[in-house]
Amino acid sequence: MTLLTVSGLRKDFGGLRAISDLSFELRKGEILGLIGPNGAGKTTAFNLITGFIPATAGTALLEGQSILGLKPSAIVKRGIARTFQVVKPFRNLSVLENVTLAAFLNEPRRVRAEEKARATLERVQLSRKIESNAGDLTLGEQKYLEIARALATDAKILFLDEPMGGLNPTEVENACALVQRIRQDGTTVILVEHHMQAIMKISDRVVVLHHGVKIADGTPHDVVRNRDVIAAYLGRQAA
Amino acid sequence: MEIFVQSVVSGVLTGSLYAMIAIGLTIVFGVMRIINLAHGEMVMLGMFGAYWSYTLWGIDPFVSILIWSPLMFLVGMAIHRFLLRDVIPKGELNTLLYTAGLSLFVANLALFFWTGDYRTLNLPYAQWPVRPFGIAVPIALAIAFCMAIAITTALYLLLSRTDIGRAIRATAQNSQSAALMGVNVKRIDTITFGVGTALAAAAGVLLVPSLYLYPTVGEILITKCFVIVVLGGLGSVPGAIAGAILLGLVESLGAVYVSVAYKDTIGFVLFLLVLLFRPSGLFGVGRS
Amino acid sequence: MKHILAAVGVLILFVAPLLTNNSFYQHLMIMVLFWTLLGASWNLLGGFAGQVSFGHATFLGIGAYTTMLFYLSLNMSPWLGMIAGGVLGALVALPIGLICFRLRGPYFSLATLAVAEIVRLVALNWDQLTAGPVGLLITTLPPLSLGGHAVNWESKIPFYYIAAALMLFATVLTYAVSRSRFGAYLTAIREDIDSAEAVGIDTVGVRVSALVLSAFVVGLAGGFYSVYFRYIDPDAVFAISLSVEMVFIAVVGGLATTAGPVVGALVLVSIAEVFRERFAAGHLIFYGLFMMLVIRYLPEGIWGRLRFLLGLTR
Repeated sequence: MTLLTVSGLRKDFGGLRAISDLSFELRKGEILGLIGPNGAGKTTAFNLITGFIPATAGTALLEGQSILGLKPSAIVKRGIARTFQVVKPFRNLSVLENVTLAAFLNEPRRVRAEEKARATLERVQLSRKIESNAGDLTLGEQKYLEIARALATDAKILFLDEPMGGLNPTEVENACALVQRIRQDGTTVILVEHHMQAIMKISDRVVVLHHGVKIADGTPHDVVRNRDVIAAYLGRQAA
Repeated sequence: MEIFVQSVVSGVLTGSLYAMIAIGLTIVFGVMRIINLAHGEMVMLGMFGAYWSYTLWGIDPFVSILIWSPLMFLVGMAIHRFLLRDVIPKGELNTLLYTAGLSLFVANLALFFWTGDYRTLNLPYAQWPVRPFGIAVPIALAIAFCMAIAITTALYLLLSRTDIGRAIRATAQNSQSAALMGVNVKRIDTITFGVGTALAAAAGVLLVPSLYLYPTVGEILITKCFVIVVLGGLGSVPGAIAGAILLGLVESLGAVYVSVAYKDTIGFVLFLLVLLFRPSGLFGVGRS
Repeated sequence: MKHILAAVGVLILFVAPLLTNNSFYQHLMIMVLFWTLLGASWNLLGGFAGQVSFGHATFLGIGAYTTMLFYLSLNMSPWLGMIAGGVLGALVALPIGLICFRLRGPYFSLATLAVAEIVRLVALNWDQLTAGPVGLLITTLPPLSLGGHAVNWESKIPFYYIAAALMLFATVLTYAVSRSRFGAYLTAIREDIDSAEAVGIDTVGVRVSALVLSAFVVGLAGGFYSVYFRYIDPDAVFAISLSVEMVFIAVVGGLATTAGPVVGALVLVSIAEVFRERFAAGHLIFYGLFMMLVIRYLPEGIWGRLRFLLGLTR
């Protein structure tokens, strides 16, 4: 079942076309990887779909309903939550409070919201840091915190923007396992990542962007052998 | 028609002085990302400086500007070094409130010492008839205009041709990279604040023959100044100039064609309209 | 511990005006209550949500003029008029919020300043409605009986208790907000507005709500002002200095705390009184100085620091 349909998405920044005619589908329960060389427009695509920047043209339908043009908070209420490439925790608030704020979306009462926050933090294995200030966490922990925050909104789809960025190999392993657990628990995931092994390992499908254009869309296995993809990353000669 | 041209001339002349004030504010924002609510008081101090040096010692303001500008440059540097520098790391909100406190302090200290009487500085030659092309041009304002142009040009040359100027522009663009390039960012911050203050004070000196002087004049000036920098985009010097001229024109024409009473309001309404439809200003530069 | 302090506070509140016959002291007490009320309502938006408004006097003035005009022209009881003042303040806050909250941080603050000035200038010039600089005057208040006794409007005591009721209302409201989801949302917005959006907080809606709530309380205070002082004009109730004083109270007392505004108001009124005899308006010098000192050395405010030292923070 298709959860999200993006068609003809376009973004112009003045004279610069950052995203051209991007179309793809996201099926329920899958893990979709979004890759591409630097500057390909991956984070821009995320920002467009999650409402942080306005689109120049195109449509995005979540369960049949258009979400383009809505405020980010409205899109969260519809069921899409995201993390940021450069983590943005509420630094001066505790880890628990960070996630409780997200849990408040569906639990107006503090007691229940905190319960949900604790449970979510348990899922991402951050329970022992619950009382710490978010600003005092390591980068890896902050990334998990952002994921927990997104999960606590009961999102149907999680948009993860470079969750493995800056993590050491062990942390990357754990993060991969976490994403797979999240999917098993019923949440669909789309993630932007540069870490190739990670993406290829956990993604069901991969979409490749280059200069704002989709150049490939298929299983990791197929995409890795695609000539255009190889050319994009390594240059024409290598393809 | 003559009235129209008269208004335009008047608006442009006044606008040029607003521009000096606004440039001072906007370069401080550009380099340090702070909004100095006490900027209006710096203008007021310049005004009073010129007033006293004229009333007590007979020095013409267009001469005493050579004393007051450098002096206020040093004052500005001192304010930054000893007062602001330790507050800025506490965040945007705290710095804003701190400068609000400073503004209150300076304005009321002046009020205490000099009383709230409205004063004027009447230069003997201000009444000479000057009517180029049949348009009455107030002499004091005209001289002020010329000097404002000179000062702004000097500033432009400073920013574009000198090493200090380049350091300032670099810090404004990216203070971390500037620091990596060997720029002493703290020193540049202090110098820039000094320059901003000097500009404000200089504008005050130039304005005093043409405006009523009272200790709390900073209040209305700072509000106009903000209208200008928001119109032109926070951090943009050409934007400040354009915004200032625009405000000068709007006020001048508004006073004639709409209502003298609502003259100040027009500027604010324009301000709100611009904020509504183009929050980054007419020049699309400033986004905090 | 907190509850004991609160109980003691309420007790003092009820008993204070009866401890003295000096109507000047009673006036001072009323001023402390009045400023606490204003500081607390500003605090909702400025302290909790981090949105610094320099234009809150707008709502004070609207509340004051509404109450006055309804009484003078429509013969509406000023007590109902006060509530009307609050409601009108809240209504005006709605478009102001929708316009100004498109902007962030200092841009927002400047916008509130511009709005405040526009309103003041309109009030000054719209003679037919507001009588312009001449102002409005109440000569007698409508008679009121409580339990068979006519209320003596010449004494300060009734006004004290009305002010106390308003101040309690504002304080309880602040407390309730601080414990609620709405309050948590305000804090999130102050901390990081983009992250707040990212967790599903409608940041425009929440901020506008905070402004409307804040404006309602300030409007009520405006109504009280008109009834207590019986004379208002645009420069008295729409002045920028009033707005700045509200900011001062919240900052010096302690941003985002419930009891901070009380401390701030005490400091403000004390300074004003100590210096009023010596210097005409010199007290403002010390407001400015105080504000600078507090921000530099005690950014959490006097009560904020005290609360920390006493181990009262949650």
